[in-house]
Amino acid sequence: MTKSEKIWYSTILVMLVITILFAMMLGASFITPQQMMTAFQGGNPNQLDILINIRFPRILSTMLCGGMLAVAGAASQAAFRNVLADPSILGVTSASDFFILIGTMLLPAFPASKFIFSILGGLFALLLLTRGPALKSPYRLIIIGVAMMLTFTGFEQLFANGFGGQTTGSFNGITWSQTEVLLFLGVSGMFAAVVISPWANYLKLSTEQLQTKGVSASMMRLALLLVVVYLSSGVSSVVGTVPFMGIVVPNVVRYLVGRDYQTIIPLSMLMGAWLLLVVDTIGRIVVLPSELSAAVIMTVIGGPFLILMLQRKNFNGLKSS
Amino acid sequence: MDLNQVSYHYPQQPTLLNEISATIPVGHILSIIGPNGAGKSTLLKLMAGILQPSGGEVDLDGQPISSIPRKQLATKVAVVSQQNDIFDDMKVIDVVKTGRLAHHSLLATISDAEVAKYIQATHLTSLAQRPLSSLSGGQRQRVWLASALAQDPTYLLLDEPTTYLDIHYQAELMGILKQLNEQKHITIIMVIHDINQAFKISDVLWLVKRGEVVKVGKPEECYDRELLANIFETNIQIVDVPHYGKYIVEIPETQAES
Repeated sequence: MTKSEKIWYSTILVMLVITILFAMMLGASFITPQQMMTAFQGGNPNQLDILINIRFPRILSTMLCGGMLAVAGAASQAAFRNVLADPSILGVTSASDFFILIGTMLLPAFPASKFIFSILGGLFALLLLTRGPALKSPYRLIIIGVAMMLTFTGFEQLFANGFGGQTTGSFNGITWSQTEVLLFLGVSGMFAAVVISPWANYLKLSTEQLQTKGVSASMMRLALLLVVVYLSSGVSSVVGTVPFMGIVVPNVVRYLVGRDYQTIIPLSMLMGAWLLLVVDTIGRIVVLPSELSAAVIMTVIGGPFLILMLQRKNFNGLKSS
Repeated sequence: MDLNQVSYHYPQQPTLLNEISATIPVGHILSIIGPNGAGKSTLLKLMAGILQPSGGEVDLDGQPISSIPRKQLATKVAVVSQQNDIFDDMKVIDVVKTGRLAHHSLLATISDAEVAKYIQATHLTSLAQRPLSSLSGGQRQRVWLASALAQDPTYLLLDEPTTYLDIHYQAELMGILKQLNEQKHITIIMVIHDINQAFKISDVLWLVKRGEVVKVGKPEECYDRELLANIFETNIQIVDVPHYGKYIVEIPETQAES
């Protein structure tokens, strides 16, 4: 591990711990660390209930989703060889949302139905992206992706008219059982991403180079994309779309520690967890007694971030050598 | 390696290579020379198994290349291609490590020590931890060579390895290749535009024109003014340079007559 890697791993961990503490304290009712101690010792059942059944699951699920989306972003950037690729920008998550909506409208609910429709939607979007000429040019991929995102979102709004109860990228009211689903999907998906993170590095070589080294680029790309769909569909099926996480976090991490995906992926996981927790905690308290959803705040942060990246003089669509 | 009546044409294109049959002797340095568009690079890609012949077969140890699994082939044939762009960026040592994938599982961690000798053989030790993007063209070419060597191949195929290099790097690269051939007995097959370099370093030359191997021979057999003039369709002179030997120069028609 290099020096900068050590510094950033520990910095982000410390920030994460501090943010968790704040997230536990802040909310509709303010709970001081002392009150927390009292509550845990059985002195205040009301506050204990708020902490255990409202704030804990919310904090945990926010962190999981943040990590999942950031890792999905990093993995899709490797698979598409494009640092702008992100499941939300490419329309993968909006396809998931749309499929979930159609699925719940047309078919009766069955166990894990949302997750399955979400996966199907994500795979459908990827199929569209990887079939055409989109892969050849980094800009074209993004333009097609954005067009798909708008299309699926439009269709979703069309069909959702008068059909309420859709998830909206908010962690408000998240339950322990939803958190458990995220825990399972998040841990398994992120573990897989870390295991195959060397492939993300190998894919920097051209397909022909990999071929002469006895390695199949398509197999590695497919594996990474499956992890992307698994992670982003997991988040979509439980909380809906939280945009831009997958583009903001891995690119900041790249700036901090360099281009090795074996570092980018685990560090994105931590930083994603931290960022989404910050965003959600802010959203909970800025407009009390109401709240802003994490998705809205991420749109406000992520949109300008993407524009800045595209405007940077040395952004040349990725080829660095 | 044997070529048996190998033909090739790109889809909906006229025949590029026409029934080429030849044997590549083990342990030699073979240079393929000829004018642009003669099919040299395509020939190399067929030998590497990157392209499949439209007719005939390329055999390796008596087995058609197309029937050898990719990974196994990579332990025998390594390629340094002309275009070596990478996406994003990578450390030199990590690029070299990709050459070891032919010998490991795809999830294996490859140690620095395992690739040290390839890095040393290509004079890259001081650059090993640098990002590829910070290197010059000549240094990068050596990185790709190191990565190919890390496959521990019997055959090393190079497509115009010196094209973008200055005279110093050209000489250095040729020196490394000669050493690899002599010490490790790696068979080297290259497409090269600098004919004098080809004549100087090679054991065997293939002169290629319009998809056919016109002449196979040792360099001393190929110092043939008319043959070379015919292949390159230009006026050729072979001169003697002190301390060097024979040197092939192209002289325009008008000057040659005066």
